[in-house]
Amino acid sequence: MLIGHENTAVELIGITKYFPGTIANYKVNLTVRKGEVLALLGENGAGKSTLMKVLYGMYMPDEGEIRVDGKKVDIRSPQDALALGIGMIHQHFTLVPVHTVVENVLLSAFNTPKGKLPVSEAAKEIEEIGRKYGLEVDPYALVNQLTVGMQQRVEILKALYAGARILIMDEPTAVLTPQNAQKLFEFVQDFRQAGNSVVFITHKLNEVMEIADRIVVMRGGKVTGELPREAASENELARMMVGKDLDEITVTNVSEGDSFGNIVLSIRNLRVKSARGHMAVDGLSLDIREGEIFGIAGVSGNGQEELAEALCGLRKIDGGEILLESKNIVGKKVMEIIKEGIGYIPADRHREGLVLDMSLEENLILRKFESESFSARGVLIQENIRRYAERAIDEYAIKTPSSKVKVRGLSGGNQQKVVVAREMDIATTALVAVQPTRGLDLGAIDYVHRTLLKAKAEGKAILLISTELSEILALSDRVGVIYRGKIVKVFNRQEAKVDEIGLAMMGVSNDEAQ
Amino acid sequence: MKRSKKIALSLFPVYSVFLGLILSGLLMLLLDANPLFVYKKMLIFAFRDAYNIADIFAKATPLMLTGLAFGFAFRASLFNIGAQGQFYMGCLATVTCSLFMNNFPAVILLPLCVLASGVAGGLWGSLVGYAKAKFNANEFLISMMSTYVAIAIMNYLIRGPLIESKGEYPQTDVIAQSAWIPQIIPHTRLHWGFVLAVVIAALAYFILWKTTLGFKIRAVGMNRDSARYAGINEKRIFVEVFFISGAFAGLAGFMEVNGIQHMLVQGFNPYLGAEGIGIAILGNAHPLGIVFAAILFGALKVGGNLVVQTSSIPSSIIGIMEGLVMISVIFSYFLRERILIRMEKKMLQAEDRKEDPRV
Amino acid sequence: MIVEGILKGAVMMSTPLLIGALAEVFVERTGVMNIAIEGIFLIGAWAGFVGAYLTKSIGVGLVCSVVAGLVTGAIYGYFTVYLKQHQIVTGTAFNILSVGLTLYLYRVFFGVPLLPLTVEPLSSINIPLLSKIPVLGEALFNQNILTYLAFLFVGVGYWVLYHTRLGLVIRSTGANPEAVDAAGINVEKVRYWAVLFSSAMNGLAGAFYSLGFLGLFTENIIGGRGWIAFAICFLGNWNPLGVLAGALVFGLADAVAVSIQTSAFKAIPNEFIIALPYILTIVATIARKHFNVPAYLGTPYVKERR
Repeated sequence: MLIGHENTAVELIGITKYFPGTIANYKVNLTVRKGEVLALLGENGAGKSTLMKVLYGMYMPDEGEIRVDGKKVDIRSPQDALALGIGMIHQHFTLVPVHTVVENVLLSAFNTPKGKLPVSEAAKEIEEIGRKYGLEVDPYALVNQLTVGMQQRVEILKALYAGARILIMDEPTAVLTPQNAQKLFEFVQDFRQAGNSVVFITHKLNEVMEIADRIVVMRGGKVTGELPREAASENELARMMVGKDLDEITVTNVSEGDSFGNIVLSIRNLRVKSARGHMAVDGLSLDIREGEIFGIAGVSGNGQEELAEALCGLRKIDGGEILLESKNIVGKKVMEIIKEGIGYIPADRHREGLVLDMSLEENLILRKFESESFSARGVLIQENIRRYAERAIDEYAIKTPSSKVKVRGLSGGNQQKVVVAREMDIATTALVAVQPTRGLDLGAIDYVHRTLLKAKAEGKAILLISTELSEILALSDRVGVIYRGKIVKVFNRQEAKVDEIGLAMMGVSNDEAQ
Repeated sequence: MKRSKKIALSLFPVYSVFLGLILSGLLMLLLDANPLFVYKKMLIFAFRDAYNIADIFAKATPLMLTGLAFGFAFRASLFNIGAQGQFYMGCLATVTCSLFMNNFPAVILLPLCVLASGVAGGLWGSLVGYAKAKFNANEFLISMMSTYVAIAIMNYLIRGPLIESKGEYPQTDVIAQSAWIPQIIPHTRLHWGFVLAVVIAALAYFILWKTTLGFKIRAVGMNRDSARYAGINEKRIFVEVFFISGAFAGLAGFMEVNGIQHMLVQGFNPYLGAEGIGIAILGNAHPLGIVFAAILFGALKVGGNLVVQTSSIPSSIIGIMEGLVMISVIFSYFLRERILIRMEKKMLQAEDRKEDPRV
Repeated sequence: MIVEGILKGAVMMSTPLLIGALAEVFVERTGVMNIAIEGIFLIGAWAGFVGAYLTKSIGVGLVCSVVAGLVTGAIYGYFTVYLKQHQIVTGTAFNILSVGLTLYLYRVFFGVPLLPLTVEPLSSINIPLLSKIPVLGEALFNQNILTYLAFLFVGVGYWVLYHTRLGLVIRSTGANPEAVDAAGINVEKVRYWAVLFSSAMNGLAGAFYSLGFLGLFTENIIGGRGWIAFAICFLGNWNPLGVLAGALVFGLADAVAVSIQTSAFKAIPNEFIIALPYILTIVATIARKHFNVPAYLGTPYVKERR
């Protein structure tokens, strides 16, 4: 392939970006060509999003220059980027939920006139663009009444309305159902065919293989590899991504066939409503035995969060039963469920799992401060709490100057260890772990995984919910696939095949697939 | 972090008190007064004799309690702007007790008044907490409005059922001697209520940091989602916190009516609630800080009142000093936070370089 | 006659509430509560009076009140928007300070006068013919200039908020500042300007109390009316039209209270009539189930820095 200026859309040359404490990008060179889909592949924290936010004008680079169509440009804000034809679809949507589609589009359009809003003209144009690319959406609908998939459309329309020729998409499939993801891929192809460029940020290998023309891999803030799709294999990409072979990082959890004990946790026909009011868990059933890790695989938003919250007493249950050692625990409060011995590692340690401004020891007793060992007649027993905390710090190798420091100051890995330590202690019978390794570095991921395996060895029943299929496969004895609030298929670890699980995640049953 | 730096940082509120006074001093120049002279006189007056020194603590007593009222709720991220109204409710309760049960001996009557004023303020406050828990109402707005309603109730009672026997002015009769809080130092206004207020501050500290209730309150205050995850019923906490907070303010009523005024006068001490907010901010919503801040405000009042009587400076200068001290304290918190963050960043960077050869 | 008088009074008394509440709508739509509103009302009343007294010109007085509001807002906005200090805490400090400051500076300017100083209050502008309409004529077409401006402001404010790009940006900043930031608009700047605007308007609203009908300045001249305006913004659901309705109801309550106080009607104690607006606010806050609270109201915007 000939690479000349006439073929180059964007060049990033020697981009370096420092953040307090880290270097997010270090002398990164990247070229985006006209009419190509460039996949930017890398782990969490590899610096992909930062690099693209530099291009989109949200961050100012500390070093380096940007060229668009061969000319050096100065991008100081997203308005500048949009004026140059660069648009970005963020991982977390930047929409105003209480406004209409057309209002959202007009807000970000750099060329909206200062005076009266051209609402009806813009609505017409949105409809036109929608028809052209198969992105139809009612311009007068309120964004908070749209599904997540439709909201993403609005994000794309925002960029297209502003005239984007280069579209950056940051992990766009993370929030989509497989069908919507497929539709998105179709749009990406159409858009490219029209001579435009797409930068597709992802950490999922299969997506890369499906959609990219060219692949750039990043690790630790630097580009570690670049190759055309035809020359790439998943194994090779994975090695570039993590710096080791894929097999090496996959802990293989050898389970001894049917050596499990009795059923500890049994869920029968569970029905739970989401915060938005629809039945998110809709007739879900599963059993977990003593010493078993049951992994739940699925695209996020299929009822995982509601299932976990219902199990732990945080969400009202609308039907069905949850039997813990044959005792129905439906309707019990959070405190009672903790007493029953169900631990819960929530998906978001900052929002839920920890009180960041409380001390380490207070966070360690956050869910059991009223137990006999930590309080008597409403007064906390400081001495016991301190001793308990010191033991936990020791046992879980939590790196901290003392048990009195605020957990806000700890690293992500150590914060998660605090959550894990607390919940492991609560979990005398069962443990619910949701995305237990999200946002952690490899060392911490490994530690959490080994702790889960230890819990399994201790005979606990473990429900592992994760959107990272590799994590599920690495740890689970059985894998259940959740789709629209039901477990649609259960695989034994030995029989589990990635493509079959993938199909089930998309709601395709075996018979249909054949 | 170096110890000396830590101490220097923790003294920021103290520096800002001086900054506030300097700014107020600049305003004195407008009336052709020499601020140095005025401050010198204020100091001399405030500490001239036992009576004035005792008065500082007497003035600090109710301020401490309204400061605690705001500070305690603030720990739960709740805004009790209605301490003024809760204070008046406490006043009404204690004056009613004192007037109508005056044949009881002091040992019974005084505890009864304490109880009545605390419960009255607490109940009035917990209405706000209840509205928040039950109707998800904005507690800031409701507590603010509840003060005006309390003022109306007080005015009605003082001009009606509770009016003095002469029926001339909107105030009650003087309460019986048995209902007076005994003085600590004779012939001064300092009464044992000051000690009680300090004990109450200690109690607030104990509740917040040594009990499970305090644990819940702080958890709700710092992260409501986590508190829910920990099984804490936040709605109950709203009501409980507003009861305790209101009780603190109500007790200030006991201090003022039974300790100083010995009667209830319409609309007295109209800025006690607002000053309590200032004291809570100055004291960083910590009971110990609130005790000291209240004493400082007490000193400003005593010294200020005396200076006003003997110079051209009007009494409004006291409000100015209070306001400017508050604003400089807020600024100092910003500054301190910024310095702390910068130091933390430096530490992190240093550690990172040690640990991660890649970067 | 009585009804006409009450209606005229209601419209008049609703004027400053309307100005203050509308200003609060604009600033709160960007996510900042102007808690200093009560203090700025007072400062506006003071500055308006001083300006008018010294120059014998009501017009200069009004300008002074706007400038005084702006200056206060500039400091309040700096603390809350740029330094990201707590809005309620900062606002309270400003409110305490404003009481002392206005009294003190009154003394600086005028010493201790034997009789309260007065100026000639704003005169009504009688609109010919229209003011002769029975019942409503006096109320709507025989008011002072500020009242006419306030009502004009409702219409203009509504149009700006819902039909212009500026209004879209304002509404978006309170509903999701991240979206505004991602669109390349400076969130802090939008908020700061909104604080400045609302403070200037609050100054003007305050001047209504000193110059609109009394023609004098006292310590208690505002007496919680700033808070009522704050509450009306809330009860009017952050919408200029809702605010208009709210201000008229509270203005009516004020006017009825005045006319009952001065009449022989004594069945209801005076105190409760005075407390009526406050009770009304509490009841309305509790009774109303659904509010369109700007999602990020009261939350300082800190740009994501990993």
